[in-house]
Amino acid sequence: MSRPDSPLRQVPLLAAAHLRHEWILTLCLVVALAAVIAPLLVLLGLKHGTIRTLRERLVQDPVFREIRPTQTRVFSPQWFEDVAAWPGVGFLTPTILPLSSVVTVVLPPDRKTALFDLIPTAAGDPLILENGGIVPEDGQVVLTAEAARLAGAGPGDDLEVRITRTRGGRGETVTDRLRVAAVLDARAGSLPRVYAPLAFVLDVEAYKEGYAAPARGWPGETPRPYPSFDGALLLLPEPLPPIVRSGLVINTGFGRMVEIGRERVRKLLGRVPPDGFACYELLAPASPVTPSSLRAVEQKLRGYRRVLLPYARDIVVSVGERRFSPVGLSLDEAQAALLGWTATPWPGLSGLSREGGVPPCLWPAAESPAVGETLQVLAPGTAEVSFPVRVAGTTALDRPVLPVELMGVLRTATQRAVTFDPASQTFQMARGGYRGFRLYAKTIDDVPGLYRRLKDQGVEVAAQVEAIERIRILDRGLSHLFWLIAVLGVCGGTGVLVSSLYAAVDRLRRDLGVLRLLGFARGHVFFFPVVQGLILAALGLAAGFVGYAALAEVIDHSFAMDLAPGEAFCILPGSHVPLVCLSTIALAGLASLAAAWRATGIDPAEVIREQ
Amino acid sequence: MPHMNAPMVRLEGLVKTRSQNESVFELHVPDFRVAPGSMVAVVGESGCGKSTLLDLLALVMAPTRVDRFEIAPRPPAPPWDAAALWSRGDESSLAALRREYFGYVLQTGGLLPFLSVRRNIELPGAINGGRPSRRRLEALARDMGLESCLDRMPSSLSIGQRQRAAILRALAHGPRLVLADEPTAAVDKARARTIMGDLHRLAREEGAAVVVVTHDTDLVMDRADAVYSFELEVVSAVATRSVCRPVAGGAP
Repeated sequence: MSRPDSPLRQVPLLAAAHLRHEWILTLCLVVALAAVIAPLLVLLGLKHGTIRTLRERLVQDPVFREIRPTQTRVFSPQWFEDVAAWPGVGFLTPTILPLSSVVTVVLPPDRKTALFDLIPTAAGDPLILENGGIVPEDGQVVLTAEAARLAGAGPGDDLEVRITRTRGGRGETVTDRLRVAAVLDARAGSLPRVYAPLAFVLDVEAYKEGYAAPARGWPGETPRPYPSFDGALLLLPEPLPPIVRSGLVINTGFGRMVEIGRERVRKLLGRVPPDGFACYELLAPASPVTPSSLRAVEQKLRGYRRVLLPYARDIVVSVGERRFSPVGLSLDEAQAALLGWTATPWPGLSGLSREGGVPPCLWPAAESPAVGETLQVLAPGTAEVSFPVRVAGTTALDRPVLPVELMGVLRTATQRAVTFDPASQTFQMARGGYRGFRLYAKTIDDVPGLYRRLKDQGVEVAAQVEAIERIRILDRGLSHLFWLIAVLGVCGGTGVLVSSLYAAVDRLRRDLGVLRLLGFARGHVFFFPVVQGLILAALGLAAGFVGYAALAEVIDHSFAMDLAPGEAFCILPGSHVPLVCLSTIALAGLASLAAAWRATGIDPAEVIREQ
Repeated sequence: MPHMNAPMVRLEGLVKTRSQNESVFELHVPDFRVAPGSMVAVVGESGCGKSTLLDLLALVMAPTRVDRFEIAPRPPAPPWDAAALWSRGDESSLAALRREYFGYVLQTGGLLPFLSVRRNIELPGAINGGRPSRRRLEALARDMGLESCLDRMPSSLSIGQRQRAAILRALAHGPRLVLADEPTAAVDKARARTIMGDLHRLAREEGAAVVVVTHDTDLVMDRADAVYSFELEVVSAVATRSVCRPVAGGAP
């Protein structure tokens, strides 16, 4: 017997020969299919092309990926570390207070000056890199187009900037020369702005707050932590006249003064004053007591024999596993003599923060410390601060006695982060945080997610979420529209195929009957219309793509005025082509099934007789 | 001479009932044999059941009842039991028998209009997994006077040429049995004689048996090895019975 698949192999040849023989009819069918396929391809191309063009316009401009804070608040370094690790974050850098982020730029022709915004930048800043700039190094800046125009400066030029501040009622200025590394494209912003490395911007902020920037030679205070206290005790051999008492709470920073008993003194300082001493407690409700308040009181009590002792409550330190509530006391010989106490081995209250060096202390004798020994102390605060103390002697109290200035610093550490720098052996204010940030998402699609995440954190931000959402909505709308039209088109195309293939089988009844007579089984003739359907679909697809290419060209040509080079409104993504081809072929296969079923029902005996 | 003791086709006790509207036609074939290489003529008036018998022999129509229906294309290999294939509904095997061992000539040729004459003639061979060599095909075409027509489309041939092309198609793949249904119905007497002569000669040369259905007895009587005819009997107002029997004197 012959191989059963031999007839099957002839089916495609016969089906193709039949289509070729009836080429006019075939051409009509192909044109009909192309007339359905080409507009669908154009529609798909338009949908994809317009969305892509709009998206790329957004994607290309980093402004649309920016998320800006709309309120000033403090963001901790930890916050920056956390957020930088969020998926979708492309670039993040801290910024400073808006009021501090301005520099005065000297404009060359007549040396007039103008205020430019000072914005921190860092490696990978998309606003700089995607607008024709390079990230500036220390000593360099990048200018916006407007800043460059006003300053008459270009890349390679030097820019003279002045940073001004008011300290103690006097204006102070420092000048720096910065090299212009690049000028940004105009689209990066219309305001005169100077982009500089974060370190420079932070120094500007520090200078404006009164601090020095030693590396740049800018004078000012060092960011030493200031001591602060909960209150002060005033101990005098004689009570104060009421008028003087009243004067102590006027313009001194203190708000209240109360007479207290000896036990209150013991509680706060660990010891009691001599009998007959008048004891007062000075309080500043809702604000800490500062050295200037103490100086003001001292000023007003000139002529009185008195001792003014500030105190800080509730400070706890630990040495190893042991926890202590130290007493703060700095008592010089005269004060000690007046009170009948022992002077501390360190000077009386200086009113200023401590200078460098390992702070001394008196350690409870019960703890049997070795005099001269250095203990490592840990004090909790906003951030835990660890520092050494030198045992300068012992005390009969069960609490260590620390210089009151150190207690003041430890109290400040409960409100702002303070560190102990072992190198300089000084306490320093740690940077509490930053007043803002510049954040760019990796893609515009990441913007809405990051926007919501920041909002959920309670960070008020602004972003081009609406523009992005508009495109998404347009994309969804066009997708729906496309699928609606596609379904209609597909129904039409399928209808054309089903009816034409069915009709073809009817016309072919005699020839299919002859094929059956020659030895084709029902299963073989089944494939005749299927193959014809597939061939027609393939030809229709080819014609459809040709039609699409022509129409797309016409469309893009018509809109050429609105398109940038490389942009197109009608683009069929490469990944869609196999999908379109496969689905058309599959649909054609399905459409041919009715005809195929009819072909298997042909009775050769009947057909032959009809001749 | 044909070997009548081992028929290539043996049909016994066949009944085929066909109904149309209210009329019923019943064909009875008590005993029908085709010897290898022989020419069997089936003659009779219109409506006697000639073509029905041919369709039954061509395995495209199922018998209503049959005692024995065997086809032995390659003796001494055992015969195919066509009756069993029909009762099993084994359509694939029946189609395979048709394409390998049968050739068929229709009244008007039955050439496929969308294939050239050459492709038409090659087709039965091609669906058997091979095709006649170009030389053989051209020799056969020359023999039939068709050498100039091979690359033309059937529509451009005369009726006589189409019939000869159909005969070529029926024989080119070397079948064991050629079934011809009124192959000369559409041509004049002289041309009919030529065509019938060609069919007879070519079948003998190729060693194929031929069953030819015709209403023109004169055309086949001198060539046929066996002749079968029909006895029509009106059973009732709506029922007709036709019995196929060998014609005495026609048989060898």
